[in-house]
Amino acid sequence: MALCDAEKTFVLHGVQDNFRIDGRELDDYRPMELETDVVSHAFGSARLRLANTDVLVAVKIELDVPFPESPQNGKIEFFVDCSANATPEFEGRGGEDLAIAISNTLTTAYSSSLAFDSRKLCLLNGKKCWKLYVDILILECGGNLFDAVSIAVKAALWNTRIPFVKNVNIDGNNIDLDVSDDLCLCERLDIENAPVMVTVCKIGDKCIVDPNAAEEHCSMGSVVVAVSGTKISTIYQTGTGSLHPATLTESLQLGFRVAIRLNEALSKVLSRIRPDEEAGFLK
Amino acid sequence: MPVDHKRINGPEDTVPYSLYTKTNKQSLTEQYEEIRKTGQRTDSRAFSEHRKIFVRTGAVSQAKGSAYIELDNTKVIVSVFDPREIPNRPDYSLKGELYCEFKFAPFSCHKRRLHVQDAEEKQHSAIMKRALESTVCLHEFPNFQVDVYATVLENDGSCLSAAITAAGLALAHAGVPMYDIITSVTMGIQRDTFFVDPTVTEQNICLYPRPSESDTEHGIVVLSKLHTHDQVSQFYQFGNVSLDKLNESISILDETCRELVPIVQKYLVKHVVKNLQRNT
Repeated sequence: MALCDAEKTFVLHGVQDNFRIDGRELDDYRPMELETDVVSHAFGSARLRLANTDVLVAVKIELDVPFPESPQNGKIEFFVDCSANATPEFEGRGGEDLAIAISNTLTTAYSSSLAFDSRKLCLLNGKKCWKLYVDILILECGGNLFDAVSIAVKAALWNTRIPFVKNVNIDGNNIDLDVSDDLCLCERLDIENAPVMVTVCKIGDKCIVDPNAAEEHCSMGSVVVAVSGTKISTIYQTGTGSLHPATLTESLQLGFRVAIRLNEALSKVLSRIRPDEEAGFLK
Repeated sequence: MPVDHKRINGPEDTVPYSLYTKTNKQSLTEQYEEIRKTGQRTDSRAFSEHRKIFVRTGAVSQAKGSAYIELDNTKVIVSVFDPREIPNRPDYSLKGELYCEFKFAPFSCHKRRLHVQDAEEKQHSAIMKRALESTVCLHEFPNFQVDVYATVLENDGSCLSAAITAAGLALAHAGVPMYDIITSVTMGIQRDTFFVDPTVTEQNICLYPRPSESDTEHGIVVLSKLHTHDQVSQFYQFGNVSLDKLNESISILDETCRELVPIVQKYLVKHVVKNLQRNT
């Protein structure tokens, strides 16, 4: 996206007066659409549309051996694919840096056992565990990818059904799993404390949340705040500019406040979705 | 993940022997309780005390600029190379670019590291790039790229911040135009204990929540600062920390970053004086 100086000034002045180009206030979010269970081959999936940003997340589960340093923990891995469908800038290896940044931020945000307890994914101490592959596909890019991805991931994990293991037999070195055939008999993940990310973007002297593509273009730097429950699980700075310590504290506060609100709204929406409802654009 | 077939990567499923040793079995939780009880860190530092620093420039003679930093056992070497045209870029960019590569040497950690960059190293590279980008006058070398390579020779905690501080010094040594001196400090948080400049054991203590009845906060915070402009160029945290603790840690780190500045300054002055003497 290319903006001329006049357009940038227009965005900047709007932010200064607490009236952004799309009529929002500084701490307002754009409308969102969330669907769950949209991919039939996945164990859990979600699609989020945040104004022009479109993200599809699918969770696949496979069996694996736990890491020797953490024999009681299962594994979770995040892959982000910034396809050139989303924006021409991602063509070739253009989106690779962004994809790595998003997946690493997710990995660190989910790394604390207080945010996501991977011990529940362990089947047999040191021998067998579930591995969750969380694949994130960016379908359209309209700014604020970090937030959109984190919400979609949380919804997809909420939607995930882990096959129910009836019993585990050990015979020498052979491990035999007896997995239930009944699809309705499954376990759910506890995602109450799964982190929600909010990107706080600094434009001029003010900080805004949920920047659209034009606003992202005007900003020198932003802070991604991942909040799990009432604690902060990850902070990651993007962009090139530097911040005054006071601004940093201020933006952390704003991010924290908005993330708590966002998390509440998300939990409310998720609790309204009936698990057996048929919906989604792929069905 | 592409595997380099020309190198011996070692068997795939090996496990460091230290997992089965006695010191490993004395769990980190016990070590933490010990520190809490005695109120003293294992190397008898105060909790807000940074380790002694040793820096020198010109460690790599072939590089344009280089720096070597030691924080007791943490040893990092950084080299900066001449600007070159940004590769594979069709359009002309008005700003220069930094390319940062952060790498743990295979023998630097308890567990052997592979030669290819893993996710953690890539993340560290990105953080390093972010921290340095706001220090360097990028408009001074349009369409050119400066390469910064950091290699950790020995990891005893706080590698990333050591690499950032050293990279700032190496860039200055290379004569890359900069706005300011950059210093960086790491902090580990476990419940109500703040470990400034943690060692690798202290970092591991802070990596996971230790069982406790009420307050279970833990995490690692890295802050990089530009001294004269009083700007935070990079701030990175992970774990599970409340907002109040985080604000507290920012002010402590801010203070410690300031304490490091005279050391870097002194070394730069020494370097300039040496150069002047050589030229006259």
